[in-house]
Amino acid sequence: MATTTSAFHRKIEVVSPTRQRVMGILFILLGLALVFFFTPGLSQGQVTTFGLSLATSDIQLPPWQVHTLPTLYGLAVVSAILGGIQLARGFGRYTNWVLGLVVGFFIFGFLVWAAAGKSLNLVGMLNTTLSRSVPITLGALSGILCERSGVVNIAIEGMMLTGAMVSALVGSITQNAWIGLLAAIFAGALLALIHAVLSIKYKTNQIVSGTVINIFATGLTSYISAKFLQVNQALNNPPTFGGTPIPLLSEVPILGPVLFNNSIFVYVMFVLLIVLNIALFQTRWGLRLRAVGEHPKAADTLGIDVFKTRYMAVILGGMVAGFAGGYFTLGSAGRFDEVMTAGRGFIGLAAMIFGNWNPFGAFGAGLLFGFADALASRLAILGVAIPSQFLLMAPYIATMIVLAGVIGRARPPAADGIPYEKE
Amino acid sequence: MQKKLYLVFSALIVLALVLAACQPAATPTPAETKKAKICQVTDVGGIDDKSFNATAWKGVEDAIAKLGVEGKYLESQQQTDYEKNINAFIEEKCDLIVTVGFLLGDATKAAAEKNPDQKFAIVDFAYDPPLNNVLGLTFATDQAAFLAGYAAAGVTKTGKVGTFGGIQIPPVTVFMDGFALGVRYYNEKHGTNVEVLGWDPEKQTGLFTGNFESTDDGRQMGLTLMDEGADIILPVAGPVGLGTAAAVQERGKAWIIGVDTDWTISASQYTPIILTSIMKRMDNAVFAAIEQVLNGTFKGGVYVGTLENEGVGIADFPAGVISDQLKAELDQVKADIIAGKIKTTP
Repeated sequence: MATTTSAFHRKIEVVSPTRQRVMGILFILLGLALVFFFTPGLSQGQVTTFGLSLATSDIQLPPWQVHTLPTLYGLAVVSAILGGIQLARGFGRYTNWVLGLVVGFFIFGFLVWAAAGKSLNLVGMLNTTLSRSVPITLGALSGILCERSGVVNIAIEGMMLTGAMVSALVGSITQNAWIGLLAAIFAGALLALIHAVLSIKYKTNQIVSGTVINIFATGLTSYISAKFLQVNQALNNPPTFGGTPIPLLSEVPILGPVLFNNSIFVYVMFVLLIVLNIALFQTRWGLRLRAVGEHPKAADTLGIDVFKTRYMAVILGGMVAGFAGGYFTLGSAGRFDEVMTAGRGFIGLAAMIFGNWNPFGAFGAGLLFGFADALASRLAILGVAIPSQFLLMAPYIATMIVLAGVIGRARPPAADGIPYEKE
Repeated sequence: MQKKLYLVFSALIVLALVLAACQPAATPTPAETKKAKICQVTDVGGIDDKSFNATAWKGVEDAIAKLGVEGKYLESQQQTDYEKNINAFIEEKCDLIVTVGFLLGDATKAAAEKNPDQKFAIVDFAYDPPLNNVLGLTFATDQAAFLAGYAAAGVTKTGKVGTFGGIQIPPVTVFMDGFALGVRYYNEKHGTNVEVLGWDPEKQTGLFTGNFESTDDGRQMGLTLMDEGADIILPVAGPVGLGTAAAVQERGKAWIIGVDTDWTISASQYTPIILTSIMKRMDNAVFAAIEQVLNGTFKGGVYVGTLENEGVGIADFPAGVISDQLKAELDQVKADIIAGKIKTTP
């Protein structure tokens, strides 16, 4: 199974002559854009300062200063040279990597320009990127679990919202964040069970079932919030998981504060990513789960219990979504507010498709979204003259461009969304 | 004998039941004075946003306690609920419908024109030309925000203060305008160079979450502003600002400025990090509107809360943070604003 999919991928990676030329021209255009859009209006000797440590770190690195104009010209020249090579002989299957590099140059050039004469905290920006990506990635992982087994789950948003509410309520009553978190996971599992029964046992349309759960979750959490949490403030005051720096590692310059000085939600996300990746692609359990999602009939013939596998996958997915819900209250704000998940579950679904139903692909998509979000806030702070409404669109525009331009056609599991009928 | 006893018993029980059933009728009820019904439609932040919905509702609660009216509210979960909620209250024949928030402006106007006899009061909106049956409750928040900005510039240690908003609409940006201009005025007076991150009053561009619900956004904005060096943050985004407060409390070394109400009361768990609050006394304004309805003096138009009529103001600072000199300067600035000597809008 694994070999056939990678062979399949390799086939797509062969670059057509048209794509080779288009990419080459794109690299050169990005290089030119760096010069034409960003260099006018800058004066010689202007310096861009990038902060390399957080105010809270014990070890303060001196800020990194680059000369704005030379940096921009340098980036432009390298981009253009890469474009020339691409046009002349092409990078073959490394084209996407080079594309990533050139886009990276462009973004860096953009930052150098935006912060010309001012300062920008790079480490803070990377940290925001990572924490912004947490609920999205967790939502995507929840979706991957369900859809790899062949059940479409658009109810992740609702499960997150319910998880957030339940963890706030239970956390406040017990004054213990861990119990609140367990309750959130349980709540997610319970909603997932409803979704599983509807879509596996009763074979309802899975989109409808998911939509109903989302609407139900919004209503239920808003009701409980209005009736109890708001009337009695003590019920909406859970303890939170603050930052848990990992000793030694968190002191590593630059990467330390970005990766190892976070709340447990970030660490658990990394663990889940690795575990899920191994479980899905290296174990018998994962092979069976994917078989059920690709060709349930064949799996059934081989003696795999399709229904049991799907129930398990959907409920596990619900638990992950419930955990993600806990992030909003226990890992972030320390209180529940109505519809506070603000569509992160849906973005998570997009990240799942984006990452081609692979955990690490989804994480990459989550990071991209988080980065666009972090970038938009920094630009607003730097006072770049872009209306705030456009800056707020940035993450979504970035998602659309990458979705359409780079990923191309995503391939869902073959039996995704189709209820299995035993003959 | 036993049979007789049963009979007496059952007769007694029947009698008791009949008496119980008749009792309400037997005691004549006092002629019930019809209570005035005051109905509030909230914006999407919810009645407990510890911010503008909550403050407006406090005005209704005060009226319930002091004027003996009946109060009700409906929460809008999304913007499409505005019209639905207003219509529900029109059908209930409320004496006054209080709609809370700039975003309800259009829905309120439509409902008021369709029902000219229904009285409305709307927080944060003034109609031009005014409607006969709508009282717009507006606030010169920029005046109070100016004072807060002046104070923040005097307190900051990093030389940078930050602000961000929910959605870029006038009742939000007016806070940010006043704040930024207050900082600038301090710089002029003292020759300092305190920077405001997140809002440019001339270009009218700045930092926004794009919603009033995602508390996690508030947290991330707070962290971002602190990363960029701000040590005093003014979040103008309802409950989203509580996420910022959580981030500030976790990291320390920074202050937060509350909006709409005194946050040391409404969000008391954050008291140690609250520098002050820019208060919009919506409760006073709503209470006054209800009073007018009761004594028959209600008429459409605009009410403006200012520093002078105490419709806006700033909350007390924590002890020891503000020097006596800065306090004296603030009093002077306040007097100058009331006298019209200082411009608090760009």
